[in-house]
Amino acid sequence: MKRWRYLLGKIGWAFFTILFVLILNFFLFRVLPGDPARAGVHDPRLKKEAIEAIRVRFGLDKPVINCFESLNPIKIGSCDVNPLDTQFFIYVKNLLQGEMGISYHSNRPVVDILAERLWNTILLIGAGQILAILIGVVFGMFAAWKARTSIDYGALIISLVAWSLPTFWLGIILLFWGSNNGLPIGGMQTPGMSSQPFLVRAGDIARHMFLPTLTYTIVYMGEYMLIMRSSLLDVLSEDYILTAKAKGLSMFQVLKDHALKNAMLPLVTVIAINLGFTMAGAVQIETVFSWPGLGLAIYEAVNRRDFPVLQGAFLLIAIAVILSNLIADLMYSYLDPRVHTD
Amino acid sequence: MTDLVTSPAPLPTSRLTDFWRVFRRNKMGLVGLFMLITIVFVAVFAHVIAPYDPSATHDVASSDIYNPPSAAHWIGTDDAGQDVFTNFIFGARVSLIVGFFAAFISVFIGGVLGIVAGFFGGRVENILMRFTDIMLVIPDLPLMVVIVALTKKPSLLNIIFVIGLLGWTTTARIVRSQTLAVKSRKFVLRARAIGAGNRHIIRHHILPLVMPILVVNAVLVVSLAILNESTLAFLGLGDPTAISWGQMLNYAFGRGAMSTGAWWALVTPGVGIVWVVLGLTLFGHGLEQVLNPRLETHHLMRPRPIVKHEATGKPLRHATRQRVPSEAPILIEVDNLSISYLTENKPPARAVENVSFTLREGELMGLVGESGCGKTTLMLGLLRLLPAAGQIVDGEVWFGDTELTALTDDEMEAVRWKGISIVFQGAMNALNPVRTVGDQIAEAIVKHNPLMKGKALEARVSELLDLVGISPEHKKHFPHQYSGGMRQRAMIAMALACNPKVVIADEPTTALDVMIQAQVLELLDSLRKKLGLSIIFVTHDLGVVAEMCDSVLVMYGGVTAEYSDVDTIYNTARHPYTQELLKAFPDLSQPDKRLASIPGYPPRLDDLPAGCRFAPRCPLAFERCHIEQPEIHQLSERHFASCHLVEKRV
Amino acid sequence: MQDYFLEVQDLKKYFLAGRPSMFNRAVEQVHAVDGVSLQLRRGEVVAIVGESGCGKSTLALTLMGLEEPTDGKIIFESKEITHANEHDRKLLRQRIQMVFQDPYESLNPTQTIGEIVGEPLDVHGLIHSKSERELKVVKALEDAGLKPAETYMHRFPHQLSGGQRQRVVIAGALVLEPHLLIADEPVSMLDVSIRAEILNLLADLRRTRQISIILITHDLGTVGYFADRIAVMYLGRIVEIGPTHEVLTNPQHPYTKALLSVVPVPNPRLRRERVILQGETPNPIHLPSGCRFHPRCPIVVERCKVEDPAYVETGESHQTACWMVGT
Repeated sequence: MKRWRYLLGKIGWAFFTILFVLILNFFLFRVLPGDPARAGVHDPRLKKEAIEAIRVRFGLDKPVINCFESLNPIKIGSCDVNPLDTQFFIYVKNLLQGEMGISYHSNRPVVDILAERLWNTILLIGAGQILAILIGVVFGMFAAWKARTSIDYGALIISLVAWSLPTFWLGIILLFWGSNNGLPIGGMQTPGMSSQPFLVRAGDIARHMFLPTLTYTIVYMGEYMLIMRSSLLDVLSEDYILTAKAKGLSMFQVLKDHALKNAMLPLVTVIAINLGFTMAGAVQIETVFSWPGLGLAIYEAVNRRDFPVLQGAFLLIAIAVILSNLIADLMYSYLDPRVHTD
Repeated sequence: MTDLVTSPAPLPTSRLTDFWRVFRRNKMGLVGLFMLITIVFVAVFAHVIAPYDPSATHDVASSDIYNPPSAAHWIGTDDAGQDVFTNFIFGARVSLIVGFFAAFISVFIGGVLGIVAGFFGGRVENILMRFTDIMLVIPDLPLMVVIVALTKKPSLLNIIFVIGLLGWTTTARIVRSQTLAVKSRKFVLRARAIGAGNRHIIRHHILPLVMPILVVNAVLVVSLAILNESTLAFLGLGDPTAISWGQMLNYAFGRGAMSTGAWWALVTPGVGIVWVVLGLTLFGHGLEQVLNPRLETHHLMRPRPIVKHEATGKPLRHATRQRVPSEAPILIEVDNLSISYLTENKPPARAVENVSFTLREGELMGLVGESGCGKTTLMLGLLRLLPAAGQIVDGEVWFGDTELTALTDDEMEAVRWKGISIVFQGAMNALNPVRTVGDQIAEAIVKHNPLMKGKALEARVSELLDLVGISPEHKKHFPHQYSGGMRQRAMIAMALACNPKVVIADEPTTALDVMIQAQVLELLDSLRKKLGLSIIFVTHDLGVVAEMCDSVLVMYGGVTAEYSDVDTIYNTARHPYTQELLKAFPDLSQPDKRLASIPGYPPRLDDLPAGCRFAPRCPLAFERCHIEQPEIHQLSERHFASCHLVEKRV
Repeated sequence: MQDYFLEVQDLKKYFLAGRPSMFNRAVEQVHAVDGVSLQLRRGEVVAIVGESGCGKSTLALTLMGLEEPTDGKIIFESKEITHANEHDRKLLRQRIQMVFQDPYESLNPTQTIGEIVGEPLDVHGLIHSKSERELKVVKALEDAGLKPAETYMHRFPHQLSGGQRQRVVIAGALVLEPHLLIADEPVSMLDVSIRAEILNLLADLRRTRQISIILITHDLGTVGYFADRIAVMYLGRIVEIGPTHEVLTNPQHPYTKALLSVVPVPNPRLRRERVILQGETPNPIHLPSGCRFHPRCPIVVERCKVEDPAYVETGESHQTACWMVGT
């Protein structure tokens, strides 16, 4: 009972957050300066009629929402407009149908562009996160266990330094080093590989993935190490650890059966909260390594003033982070009996 | 665990000098501070330090571009033929300005929101924190990118505002939870009780305790702001007129530094960012350790080797062996056990000194003393479970024919629980919250009897729970689902899991209500009779001891004050401390007795008096007591006291 | 009818058990204090005794005005103060003061002792100069037994021992010269050897200053030395009240008898039979029917399960709420 209420609450909350992001996403692009149509369709050769035609095509001729013709500059419009015929409603309706508009730059549907990119980002972030968490947890564990020894101080300094590295700069440095050592300098696969057998292609992708994943891992492992260290230090000074020792359990048994799971609990929460930050890493790393993911899509869209893509990519990233957060919450409720039992 | 008793310390100096005195010892913090001071110095005096004027226009020849380091350009030139070193120095200015101002905005918003939400609670809190939760999951850099991209011309001011206005979420969360924690503390309730209003409470009671955490967080926020600014600039969203380190990297990376091999143009600005951010991080880490100190010790740290005849600083006085004669065989014999806590920069704290006692089969011994008298240390020492700073410095612990201090760690593990088990005070914390109670009991059984499994194991767990009056279906439940009394019963069941000969009960009823306390005591007493257990009962409650125990060891300041059978202790005590303690204890059977108190306070274990440890509070103390520590004198076959007054004149 | 200094009539304080939410609109109530009546004379000490969860601390906070009563009346110095407004409440704070259980927690670690003790004066604007402030703070500290006061003024709480800290808390209450002091477990966190000195200090204050004291405690052992009357609380209600000597030597209510029998007596020659109640205090959300003590009562009869007992005079100003007394 309690558990279901908890789960329902979490799911409901995630839904509400997504709704908030949808609305934020819509209004951001209308409130801030730069009418998309004028910014995107800036070709001076176009005639006024042609621009108008494009505005119609992108739905920019309709009022933003009831009572507002446009939001920047604020132009009060009629409140009697059919609410179904406003940009906001059309935006929501299109989204529900899986439509995010058409790219100003390539004239392709934004959904198609992003769908290709999404999996590349998940592949990169997934590999990087898993490695960072694994390394962080293991080293953090050692640091806590051997607290106040040189192992501990070494791990601490390494993680503080890793934390301080700007992601993109580390990427650049590694790229500089890698390009001098025969590693691919960007992209996800070597051109002309599509006809090769699967294993060869996978190997090629792995070679391309090496540097971006390494960057990712280095930057994020420091933080996980610090968290694991302090979390395990807390757990190891709890009374139940002393009880376990008093029972005659060996050091290893105490660590394995009593400390690790308890210490992982706060880590799960932090990983969830961190997912938002990890997307910042994706934008930077994909830009440096030309990795064709959502982050690069954002970078390109910004430089090309391709607002539909920017809008779509931001929405997708936000939703992905919210959903991952939800998963982490659900995982936490599974791991900690205090959440799911009455 | 090091229960040093506080007492008036020297008069405090100013808070700032206090802070600096502690911070000075933190190497990481000092290094960080040094890194910050240098970079701030560079930024402030950029015009003096920089070899060139960055704003000077000059013609650029293609031969000026990406020149390697030389005498004229110490770290080469960039894509526009400009001196990288000059740009680097002026870049420090931009980065620091953005970092500090943006962080100021973030910390201000986050701090105000956090305090308001935490302090006022209710609907305000709900709305604010829900909003913070939403902002926290929205990935901030992509949002910053979107916003900056949508503003037409990114200026430094815009960037400061965007970073500042989006960076407050973690601050708000941290400040809120700290405010909540402070608000629930009793001194805030006390402030309300004296009539203080919200403004007064926030100013005088909440802010001073939130400030340390806010300061540490602010340092982190500054470093995040600097990282965010450089990322935005690198992505081409910076102010093109303000050459920050991110902007330098943007130009170098986008304009062929990589392919020309101009590493200096790529490495230099990054080093600047790392320098500042690492400086801030180290400084923040140091601040954190000073402002929110925590003992970085835990129960799995390597125990100190047992080194005997050391660290006590003076020759040991061996008293006659103390024995309470009776027919039953002896189970435990502790002989002149001494335990010290070794801390840095301080003399060792002699927490337990020369304590001896014997425990016979079926005996219930009471170990009595006030907080900090070393009774818990003594018990942990028996099981060799002392915290990392604790060290057995002398004495022997005989358990049957085994001398426990001579065992290896592995051998000691086998003795624990199977030979001697322990019930700790506060069962809530002594049980692992994420494992079921039955599982934790079974674990102890399996450790010492690996052959027991499946049905037999289940049956044994049920039997144990039944023995302490818990219905066996509760074994699948977690500790938080038990009430306080049940948890303590479960701990007792666990202690009996391996049929130990001796159970140490360390204040097992202290946190419990009187009626539940009576239930637990009755349970212990009946188990003792049923199972023939020997029990060492650690407590400060003289009444409980009188009702249950056979023999009593009274400890004061780490030494034995008096040791005898229960009747002698309560009716013909010879040590002044025992006598005074009994006078101070309320007795319902003598309602007309006036309660006495012992003036003063127990000694600090790291600052013990030269003579008898009780002398400063003793009503009967004379000159010798302040100079010479009394030996333990045997007064009768079963009565020992350490006091000069009981010494037999030869 | 005697004029009482403090009169509490049928006081009730209910809390909501949790917040109403989308899934759970009808939130249950915790009956923390459920109909307490009490009178106090000037200079009298009444002890309120009970186990945790009996509502004694909530009663203290409600009397202090730190919790708004759900129902009932509080009359203090002939004026009803049940729902006093902010202005009156602030004036009342000068006359009703409180001493808390945990002297480690009830002092702000960042303030000096001088700041702590002087704070009430600042809050109420009672002083006009620095020297006046210092004078009053010194007097309060010395009245609380911290002599010489000057050596304590500039120290921080962590530099004092537990007993000294509790004296600081008392000094902070004394500085306003209150008429009523509510002491919530003032000695339970202190070591045995210094409990008496704090209790003796409170007793002296009552004698020299005619301060009335309400002593909240779980320890029947200590009240005998100190209180004029004892009120025993169980699940939000007073089950027995009477003069201390009466209640301790001639208890009427089965709960009082049980509580008394489990107080350990520090004399091994007096080991007695104890009445140990089984089970634990039920939670104050779902109160038992009839007499709220009946599920644990050793002498329960049918009537107890149905009807809530009224108070019966069982001696000189000694009242007990039990169907079985006098039968």
